[in-house]
Amino acid sequence: MSRAGRTSLRAGAALLAAAFGLAAAAAGQTAAAPAGPASAPPAAGDQKQTAWNGDRTVPVHLIPLRDENDELIVPTETDPRPYSARFTCGPCHDYSAVAAGWHFGGTAAAGDGRPGEPWILSDPRTGTVLPLSYRAWPGSYGPEALGLSAWDFTLLFGRHMPGGGPAEPSDKEALAHPEARWNVSGKAEANCLACHNRSGRQDHSEWAKQVLRENLRWAATAAGGLGEVGGMASRLKGTWDVTDGPNLDDREWAVAPHVSYRAVDFDSKHRYFFDIAYPPADERCLACHSVSPVDESQWSAEADVHAAAGLKCADCHRNDLGHAIVRGYEGEAAATGSRTAEAFTCRGCHLGEDAKGRKTVAPGRLGAPYPRHAGIPPVHFDRLSCTVCHSGPKPKAGFTRVRTSRANRLGIYGVATWSTDVPAIVEPVYMKGRDRKIAPNRLVWPAFWAKRAGKSVTPLLPETVDGIAGDILGPEDRVARILAALSLAAEEDETPVLAAGRFVFEPNVDGGIDAAEEAGAKAGRAPFWGLRKGSEVLPLVPDFDPAAEDKDTAVETRFQEFLQALGAVAGRPGEPAIVVRKTLYRLVDGFLDVSEAPAGLAGASGPGWLAGGKLAPLASDFDVRTVTAKAGTERTLTEEQVGLVLEALAGKTGDAEAVYVSGGRMFRRAKDGTLAADDDDAAAPVAWPLAHDVRPAQQSLGRKGCTDCHSVGSDFFFAGAEAAGPLLTGKTAKLSAASAMGLGGLFQRLFGLSFVVRPVFKVVLGVCAAVAGALLLAAGLAALGRFAGFTGKG
Amino acid sequence: MLFTAVSVLVLAGALLGLAFHRFRTTREEARSTLLYAELAKKYFAWLALRAIQMSRRASSKAWWEYLKGLPLWRAPVLEKWLYASFYASFLVLAGSGFFFTVFVPRGLYGFPLVGHVMAGGLFAVCLAAVVLFKGREFIAVPEPARLGPRKAGVTAARARRWSFWLFALAGFLLILTALLPMLPLLRTAGQKLMFELHRCSALAALAAAAVFAGLEAFAAQPTAGASGPPGPRPPRST
Repeated sequence: MSRAGRTSLRAGAALLAAAFGLAAAAAGQTAAAPAGPASAPPAAGDQKQTAWNGDRTVPVHLIPLRDENDELIVPTETDPRPYSARFTCGPCHDYSAVAAGWHFGGTAAAGDGRPGEPWILSDPRTGTVLPLSYRAWPGSYGPEALGLSAWDFTLLFGRHMPGGGPAEPSDKEALAHPEARWNVSGKAEANCLACHNRSGRQDHSEWAKQVLRENLRWAATAAGGLGEVGGMASRLKGTWDVTDGPNLDDREWAVAPHVSYRAVDFDSKHRYFFDIAYPPADERCLACHSVSPVDESQWSAEADVHAAAGLKCADCHRNDLGHAIVRGYEGEAAATGSRTAEAFTCRGCHLGEDAKGRKTVAPGRLGAPYPRHAGIPPVHFDRLSCTVCHSGPKPKAGFTRVRTSRANRLGIYGVATWSTDVPAIVEPVYMKGRDRKIAPNRLVWPAFWAKRAGKSVTPLLPETVDGIAGDILGPEDRVARILAALSLAAEEDETPVLAAGRFVFEPNVDGGIDAAEEAGAKAGRAPFWGLRKGSEVLPLVPDFDPAAEDKDTAVETRFQEFLQALGAVAGRPGEPAIVVRKTLYRLVDGFLDVSEAPAGLAGASGPGWLAGGKLAPLASDFDVRTVTAKAGTERTLTEEQVGLVLEALAGKTGDAEAVYVSGGRMFRRAKDGTLAADDDDAAAPVAWPLAHDVRPAQQSLGRKGCTDCHSVGSDFFFAGAEAAGPLLTGKTAKLSAASAMGLGGLFQRLFGLSFVVRPVFKVVLGVCAAVAGALLLAAGLAALGRFAGFTGKG
Repeated sequence: MLFTAVSVLVLAGALLGLAFHRFRTTREEARSTLLYAELAKKYFAWLALRAIQMSRRASSKAWWEYLKGLPLWRAPVLEKWLYASFYASFLVLAGSGFFFTVFVPRGLYGFPLVGHVMAGGLFAVCLAAVVLFKGREFIAVPEPARLGPRKAGVTAARARRWSFWLFALAGFLLILTALLPMLPLLRTAGQKLMFELHRCSALAALAAAAVFAGLEAFAAQPTAGASGPPGPRPPRST
């Protein structure tokens, strides 16, 4: 039967089923009618597993694949649909219960819990590092409040989402945003295989790629290795629907998504073999939850001590079908109402204590050793979380810069480089949490453009700022375009460059520019366009006499090539031209025209844009100044750029004031036009507690004694760092470890100093105790002797 | 909370006991009263009157004069500074420790804790010296035990001796319970035990010191209420 025929019959069957009140199920199939994401309750007589029968094995998952219309997928059929977890896994596992779990995002789960890592919208061009979360966590902004729909959010962050949540909005939510393309892309259902697929074919990169292509309903099929998915929904018209099938008008560009299943994994009854892992393997968790120091080599990076001992992530981070995965922090049980959670904290497993220190939990789960903690005053356990001494990198000056999967796009491989260095996340920054205990945190400094009205700060999305800022934010792009054009005219061993100050700028494969410091170059060197041959940089326009009879004609030939190449630069302000010693070279009707430079070009020299009788430089002073200032740094904006953008934004923000947040400060245009920096809560760092990697006991803080922390120069108390941000400025905030903890640095220094004399103090106390004790013993013995009459009086 | 209540009760008991001793010793009506209810009534009336008298006389100048008049300052130089350090360190320890225990839920922390620890070191040295050089004055013990009848009861002299040795014992425990947690010996339970023992020892030391000082002051000023606020008197040298 054709797909169209089955689809029409489906509607009829559903009506009949409704009319007769039947929800019958054939063997291996559910009778649930085709439904939207907000599915109906489980049909009567289904085989959903609601209670464990005691079997500790994982059943073989040789099951029929079903599509989003709950129809059987026949892999050999023409243009089969992608499989749907809702209808393939749903017959045995309550999909609604799964998708409502914590793991599928703040839109689905109740309760925000302890702050976790927010989604970070990072855009270097506009200097945006904006923490977002559907959960009400301090410092994070709600996506809806900024105008980000579920569709926008999914395209931004779907690369590291497990499906469900924002990626699977209800029909009502989807219809509320007609600009979204859910009808083309489909919805990304909760992807069971993202975690539970044991197969080595599970490919997170493929998931990210499919999300980027807007192939949301196909993403799980492609990433799970069930088949090969081609086509891109992002290139299709907004009117396309999955029932339309292949795009017959275009088989090259706007190819409709399609799947070709691996037929070898199906049996003769069209059942597919899923290699399921329960609980999930660590590899699957780490696809989205990896964190690694930036300056660490892969071979030297240490694993969490629990992993090294053979534990899996899911041994502690457990969940039932509801997928409210235990996060493992103290107080989670009270916050979530799950008493199970209190058993899976550090204290629960190692001490057998709940968050209040009561011995209510059986200690030693999975062989967890009972800690000695010899010589450590109990006040440490009242004021510090276990992770302070045991988790994350050891404290060091400037903190440790790390990359996380979700913030820095790790774990996605392909031709393009996905991972990024920004945002700059540092750890461990020790801060007090809601429970008033100090815990190590990861921390990022927000950066964004915003409207400020009174104390209310509303961030602006990057595309909004980019649209208003115009050319101000694009010096790198303009320089890159020129260099890219010139490379078309360069020889194989030549690379066009812009040399300015101490740096030489070259085009890179991503369409941007790379800056390299040139040995011996001075900061004040005048900019010039050139060609790099090996290590030598030669001017693009050599100094020669155009009027000389013995001039090298090859030079003018190259001029023609350069001018032709520059003529292809998009958005150029004029026609390309070269002036050498009052001689003007330009293209007229495609041929090189050599003429005497008009009087208006007196003093001009080198390549440029001829417009209005003037020769403008290829890159403006502003562009050269801007790219040179930022060269060799991670900064993407200069104060000059920020000032200009704030000026441009001023007319677009109504009564509100346009501001820019970066480096822990809020910048605004003062009345005299200068850039003023203020402290503001909106510029404060956003932090969330970390728990991993847990270090071995021998590497924990305090192992070498009190002076691990209590010393005059200890990094625990006195590490400090300047706030990171896209803006190149000296007006950044500074963060010290002691102030982050809410402690006084002076006291900690004095207290640390006291540990210098602590050994002497102990000896003195010991001698005094010995003397006093001995005398007390002697007095006691004397009294006893007198009392017994053994010794005489006086 | 329990410790706070116990502390208040113990200290109140010690002070009321001392005051009652003074009342019984110095007031004729106390000796002539047989009924306990009548005695209590007269005692509290006297106590209230005495408190009012003392509060009227008390001033910073009066206290200063009283302090200057203590025989402590007339002692040889080493002994003078030994006792001055001993009393001062104990006052700092008791003041900081009990204030934070009773009034600050978090307990002792910050600069007061550093001061407490420093005063503790000084106190330990002074205590060892006092017990070493002055303990013999309090070693007078009862006659050898015999099966026949013997004089019993709590006398001022006995209370003074017992309070001295109780103070010495509590001081020893204070030093020990401060020292042991600083060594890598005790686990968390041991650390907590040391902390509780430290607090209890401190309470015992304070109560013993109050009794000792009260008896000493009373012995030095047999005419009650004649010369300003009561205060400690250095042990008599041999």
